[in-house]
Amino acid sequence: MTRLRAALAGLLLPAAAAAGVRPTYCGCDLAIGLPAAPRQWDPARAMDPVDLLALGVHHATPLVVAPAGLAPGLLAEVPEPQAGGRAFRLVLKPDLRFADGTPLGAADLAASLARLAQPGTPHGWIALPIDGADAVLDGRPGAPAGIQVLSDREVLVTLSFPLPDFPAALATIPAAVVSARGFGAGPFAGARPVRADGAFVQARANDACAQGRPFADTASLGAVDPRGAARQLERALSEDGLLLVLRPEAAGPGAVALPARTATYAALGPRLGAAADAVRAALGSIDRAELARLYVRGPSEPLATLLPSAVLPAPLPAQAAAPAPAPGPRRAAPAVRIALLVLSASSEQRAVVQRLQVKLFDRGIQSSIETADAERFWPRVTAGDYDVALVPVPLLAARPAIAAGEVAWALRGAAAARRAMASLSALPPSELGPALQALARDLDAIPLFASGLRATPAPALQGLAPRPDGTIDFGDLWVWQGASR
Amino acid sequence: MCLALLAFALGAAPAAPPGLAGVAEALAAEIGPPPEGRRGLALAVEGVAPALAPPLESALAAALSRRGYAVSPLRGAADPEPRAREAGADWVVRVRGGLAPGRTEIALVGELIPTWSSFFLQRRPGVRPVPPRLVQARAAADPETLLLARPGRAADASRVAIRVLARVPGRVLALAVGDPVGDGAASAILAVTAGEAILLSGGGARLASRPLELAGRRPVRDPAATAAIGDFGGGRLALAVAGEPAGRVFAWQGGRLEPAGTIAAAPLCATDGGRIFGAFAPGKGLLADVLSPTIDPEAPPRSGREWLAVAAAPRGGPYPVAALGAGGRLELLRGDLGTAGVLDGVGAGFALADLDGDGTAEVVASTGTPGTPERVRVLEYGAAVAVAFESPPIAGAILAGAAGDVTGDGIDDAVLAAVVAADGGVATDLLLVTADPRVVP
Repeated sequence: MTRLRAALAGLLLPAAAAAGVRPTYCGCDLAIGLPAAPRQWDPARAMDPVDLLALGVHHATPLVVAPAGLAPGLLAEVPEPQAGGRAFRLVLKPDLRFADGTPLGAADLAASLARLAQPGTPHGWIALPIDGADAVLDGRPGAPAGIQVLSDREVLVTLSFPLPDFPAALATIPAAVVSARGFGAGPFAGARPVRADGAFVQARANDACAQGRPFADTASLGAVDPRGAARQLERALSEDGLLLVLRPEAAGPGAVALPARTATYAALGPRLGAAADAVRAALGSIDRAELARLYVRGPSEPLATLLPSAVLPAPLPAQAAAPAPAPGPRRAAPAVRIALLVLSASSEQRAVVQRLQVKLFDRGIQSSIETADAERFWPRVTAGDYDVALVPVPLLAARPAIAAGEVAWALRGAAAARRAMASLSALPPSELGPALQALARDLDAIPLFASGLRATPAPALQGLAPRPDGTIDFGDLWVWQGASR
Repeated sequence: MCLALLAFALGAAPAAPPGLAGVAEALAAEIGPPPEGRRGLALAVEGVAPALAPPLESALAAALSRRGYAVSPLRGAADPEPRAREAGADWVVRVRGGLAPGRTEIALVGELIPTWSSFFLQRRPGVRPVPPRLVQARAAADPETLLLARPGRAADASRVAIRVLARVPGRVLALAVGDPVGDGAASAILAVTAGEAILLSGGGARLASRPLELAGRRPVRDPAATAAIGDFGGGRLALAVAGEPAGRVFAWQGGRLEPAGTIAAAPLCATDGGRIFGAFAPGKGLLADVLSPTIDPEAPPRSGREWLAVAAAPRGGPYPVAALGAGGRLELLRGDLGTAGVLDGVGAGFALADLDGDGTAEVVASTGTPGTPERVRVLEYGAAVAVAFESPPIAGAILAGAAGDVTGDGIDDAVLAAVVAADGGVATDLLLVTADPRVVP
């Protein structure tokens, strides 16, 4: 919803209509600049927040998050809870197709949900509530019994515990419906390298997209550094088309801050033993506002509780929020030496962990830093193989119960995630704050801050309208004044 | 021989326009034959359009003469009653007239005032011997009468009034203005939203509506439609919605919009000169470069270009058709659909309307520039000052337009659709853009 008059703000009016102009399709090429080239093209396996956002280029989800709440994506309607919130009947829109032209039916939806229950999947929290997912996650072959295909367009999902908020999980990109050949149903399809160095890959418009053919003809994805992005935005056109930069920092005027929904936690590992109390107290005393302000380049928010405000339905009552930890007197602690595990790929996380190192030293705790790439980091977190780990968790779901399940899944695994979801399910807002505090203690994790990205469009690029959950329908982007090539 | 003389006489004295003759005859009938042999009648025609007064005077004189009056016209600004007394007339008829509201009829109102000298009123010479009488009549206004009844001040494209005709729920995607019945009577407005076709009168009153079934419609990211009013076989109201396999034709019958068939093309516009059909680009809300006078689903695109909208001038002119492309570039097309000129900076809601009646259509368009408030502009291609008129900021987003004679003055008006916020959703204000001097302050 861009450049619209105040009278039309926030309406269910296409962005272009609100702007008084209509989209032009003619020869519009998009170039989406990211901090790094996409590393993971499978929505069920992506964990990097940028990868998860960029996957919206190729994939479509059963539901989407609209300003007024959940809205149909591939589904014909938002499913109503049945059987006390333990069952949901998912009905697909008619005549859906994947980007390769093959029909998209209930079997594809069921298969896409079922694969989220496979062992080792990073987004098992989506399938976790489904009846029979436990056994599959533990290694039993097959699909969860709670996923039943009723017809060409209908799937019945039965949960193992009441979770009325379950449809919120279907609006997250890992729940996107993917064909057996790996095709999605999003606005664009394909990943053809467009440069000799392969830095940018190009996808073409998907005529069969359920929301309608995208306005742009192509969308290219690739890495741009901040200075290069700024230069290209000044020229309005990049080498690969009209630029939309998705980076933590603003690449130019007109940047739009996306919700801060990647929450970073300091998780205490089981091998800390007797030192855990001292480490917990030291980490708890860290000034999170300072961390968020000084070390996070994107939109940020210090975490007073387990979940950022972007996930909560309303601000928590003051008494429910955790008080800012007092610095506390320095005291002589027993000689403790710990290792801080951090993702090597994130310079931001590395900077934060260095700050933690200093603060822990002030508290008499010596620490070293261990960096690990994503392939080694997540298995170690899952196995509890760390003293303290700085764990960034992209919170994809728009409901607290599901988002808490995501956190618990990432930090402590399936059992904790199930407890988190069940404990927060259908909780009244007044009880949410204490429940989140209790959950943070149960997970033995110190919430530090939440961070997000900024979307900076080239001046001629229109239609940038991030959804409340921070996702973008890239098919809605179009160009004004024929600035595209 | 007698027949030949009669034919010569008829040929030598061309009849007055049917509208004028009819209304004059009706008024003479109201007046009736001369009572008591008082035949002297002074006729004063006042308060009508300057062009209308002389022929109306002639028509009335002829009609009254046929009823036995000796008619002497009174002209000038002076009060006709004392002048009639002075001239020895038995009666004076003061006639005022004009187009009735709705602009479909010419109406006359007359005062039949006795002016003869009464023996019994010799000491009071100004007193009327019998009470005066009001007479009135009306008749259908044909195009010639409409032409004569135009106000003295000519329409001027730089003097334009913008009024809200009606508010329609939802976003109007396409508009058409024209005669929904084909009898040459009043124009109506066809407004098409994603889910409804609505027919409104020239005054903005809802005449009929019909839901449009969504089943079978492929999703289009930016909804779009076309609409036209003209001769489409079984009906005169045609529309097409992007994503649907065929256009639809409706007939306005018995106050309802009745389906009258489908057409394998998108009706883009219709004028006195014919119709133009096109096609939506697959999966898009844009029109392919198919401009055809016939329904030809196999017609190949003329080029790879795509249009946001196509419009026609209701009365033709040097560029009777225009097509709006990317970036606000409007191509003005000749009758053979070749390019006659280009105008830049034209918003998505536009119409070709000959607002000033000079035979060349002006472009009535929204500004449509991102980041700026919407304004209505009247653009004259080839004029020294291209922008003849620009309105103050208009609420809403103008995304569709059409042209036709809405006010009934015989000259084109434009109707634009401005999408506005309303009741938690959206609605569309239909804006009348007219240079009709009766409307323009």
